[in-house]
Amino acid sequence: MRLDFSNPGKKWKLYASLLSDQKELGLPFPREWTHENFKLPPNWREIFLKNMESVLKKYRSVRLFMDLCVHCGACADKCPFFLATRDPHNMPVARQDLFRSVYKKFFDASGKLLGTTAGAVKDLDEKVVDDWYTYFYQCSECRRCGVFCPYGIDTAEITIAAREVLLSIGLSTKSTTQSINKCEFIGNHLGIPPAAMANSLEFMEEELREEGWDVEIPLNKKGAEILFVTPSADYFGDPHWYTMKGYVKLFHVLDLDYTLSTYASEGGNFGLFLSYEHMKKINAKIYKEAKRLGVKWILGGECGHMYRVVHNFMGSIHEEPPDFLEEPVSPITGTKFKNAVSTKMVHICEFTADLIKHGKLKLDPSKNDQYVVTYHDSCNPARAMGLIEEPRYILRHVCNHYVELDPSVNRERTICCTAGGGLLTDECLELRYQAIKPKIDAIKRSGANFLALICAIDKAAFPTYMRHYKLPIRVGGVHELVGNALVPP
Amino acid sequence: MDPWAFFVGDVLSYIAVIVFVIGVLARVGKWLSVPVPLKVPLTPGPTTYPGVVIRLAKEVFLFRSLFKGEKKLWVGAWTFHIFLLTTLIIHVINLLYHDLWSVIGYGWYEFAGYTGIILFGALVFLLARRITAQHMRYLSKLPDYFILILLMAIVFMGNYIRSFSGVDVKQVSAWLYSLIALHPIPPPSDPYFLTHVLLAELLIMYIPFSKIMHFIGIFVSPTRNQRNDGRMRRHRNPWNFPVKIMSWDEYWAKFGDQLRGIEGENEGEAREEQKSLTGDKSGVGG
Repeated sequence: MRLDFSNPGKKWKLYASLLSDQKELGLPFPREWTHENFKLPPNWREIFLKNMESVLKKYRSVRLFMDLCVHCGACADKCPFFLATRDPHNMPVARQDLFRSVYKKFFDASGKLLGTTAGAVKDLDEKVVDDWYTYFYQCSECRRCGVFCPYGIDTAEITIAAREVLLSIGLSTKSTTQSINKCEFIGNHLGIPPAAMANSLEFMEEELREEGWDVEIPLNKKGAEILFVTPSADYFGDPHWYTMKGYVKLFHVLDLDYTLSTYASEGGNFGLFLSYEHMKKINAKIYKEAKRLGVKWILGGECGHMYRVVHNFMGSIHEEPPDFLEEPVSPITGTKFKNAVSTKMVHICEFTADLIKHGKLKLDPSKNDQYVVTYHDSCNPARAMGLIEEPRYILRHVCNHYVELDPSVNRERTICCTAGGGLLTDECLELRYQAIKPKIDAIKRSGANFLALICAIDKAAFPTYMRHYKLPIRVGGVHELVGNALVPP
Repeated sequence: MDPWAFFVGDVLSYIAVIVFVIGVLARVGKWLSVPVPLKVPLTPGPTTYPGVVIRLAKEVFLFRSLFKGEKKLWVGAWTFHIFLLTTLIIHVINLLYHDLWSVIGYGWYEFAGYTGIILFGALVFLLARRITAQHMRYLSKLPDYFILILLMAIVFMGNYIRSFSGVDVKQVSAWLYSLIALHPIPPPSDPYFLTHVLLAELLIMYIPFSKIMHFIGIFVSPTRNQRNDGRMRRHRNPWNFPVKIMSWDEYWAKFGDQLRGIEGENEGEAREEQKSLTGDKSGVGG
């Protein structure tokens, strides 16, 4: 395995947070700084080590993974960012070692005794911080490495912890904090204010009416049965828009009593890419709004990292369980979603697959005959939820030509869109073009002309990749194809 | 009495066992003292505990994930671990329950003699892999080499004793039983044998401070031992803390003009009026 010791990864440092975002979000040490000049506070070493100790005491995963790695190297070539850069620090084990080497130096006997020969860092200086900032923001937290690790060591756990430490000395990235700020104070990552969201949905109603669908999209409707929460890109983005139309058509044929919300107009959670606190803040709005509207349960749209929070974290980050909600039951089929009885939040693919299974949808898959469809497993649904069969089940019912991707980059082994974890930003676009290459090659080999997926970041990233690689492949959500195949009532 | 044999065979054996037990307990205790605040199972995450047991068994006995990850290393690593296990079992039978061979059959006894050679071969492979592959050279630190070389030395000495120098098994057996009974007698003073024992004791003492702790850590790893039930059951985060988020009233204050226009959004307005009324009252009363 070839390594490039010139550290090409250093070319792709993400930009520094804007001063306004740092201030409005109350982040530590707000100041004007850049990715080249951190302007760290004078006592940063002390703060750094204090916070490192704190994350080591907060997460058993992090504490354990420090001792557990045997440096077997099985993960080395599993990271798309390593394959793209050949930068040794981008091997998952070496990315962890950036953290582990400081741990050895300050928190472990072997490093204190033997120093660098035992893998401890020489000194905690600004170079270490620079390495951390570069490479822990070159991890999309996709967890592919963890699937192949004999001990399940998950680099994302280390990345999340390292970013908490970096934040404590005032380091965070612009694209992430910008989105978080908009989400916390306007309602969604794109910063769409309520009126614009309402206009957009009205526009969608008009568009659908022209297509023969007499739909109404309920917004902020009190007493609806279901609150539908989806990433804000679905109201504005392309190709997200067509997925949104798919949902709306689906809910229309079902005559579903649901509502969208302006206050909880974001399903995604960029807080996950910054810190526990902001992840919790963004997620908390969903329950708060569900309570205010008096809905029975929550349905979530297509998104990737949203479900890392919803599926893995939502059940433990809130002080009170959502007792004001009811255990989710499909009003159409009567199916109880036993997998979501605690958080009361169901994934749209679970909902739709259940409808199809019970024969409640009139579908004409020939409406998608112009497409040879393949499915891209997004990292979080595939590796965090295990949501692998449902979207495939739906796709096989809504289109006639469905092909699988190469098993080496499919299902839980998927190579992610490489834009997650706060990397959906233009300063690392060239890096992502390279990192996505193995997936693009697999998509090319599949012969598909429609790449179906269930993640808003995928939907933002893949069309750009397709243009770059000059591939005439349409990118869209699973529910776009559902929408196409639905027979109007 | 040979003082070196007494030191290696009796003094150091007890020290090694004490260091091992206390060291391992302390290290595992340290891990367990840190909470698991969140659910982080990796696919395929079972939703039940029996499922978790099956998953971990597959990892422990078959190295399932490593098999997915790197086939060549899997062959080397699995061979090493399996033959390490058989070697340990053979040691126990040979030295503590020697009569068992009459039940198992002496043909197996002869065969067992060769397994140590396979074990050594697997170690050679693992070391060669570290040295020849560029990324492995980059990743390997002193402890990674130290463990392999120490193991190779132990296995080499064992094979040497078995094949060439020999040792009186009855004497070794008596020595081990005396250690267990806490009435230690010295071991055979054969230098090859004592070197073998000394190196093994060093390894045992080193385990709690080394990556060999993975033999317990693999069961502690949250991505593998958790049930995939994040939405099914509530999980407690002991260090959870409250956060303040924009309330509906603050939201209304900021976007009321826009929200008034949205169908179904009159409640906020009503509440705003009510609030201004109560506000007036408190103003008067205050």
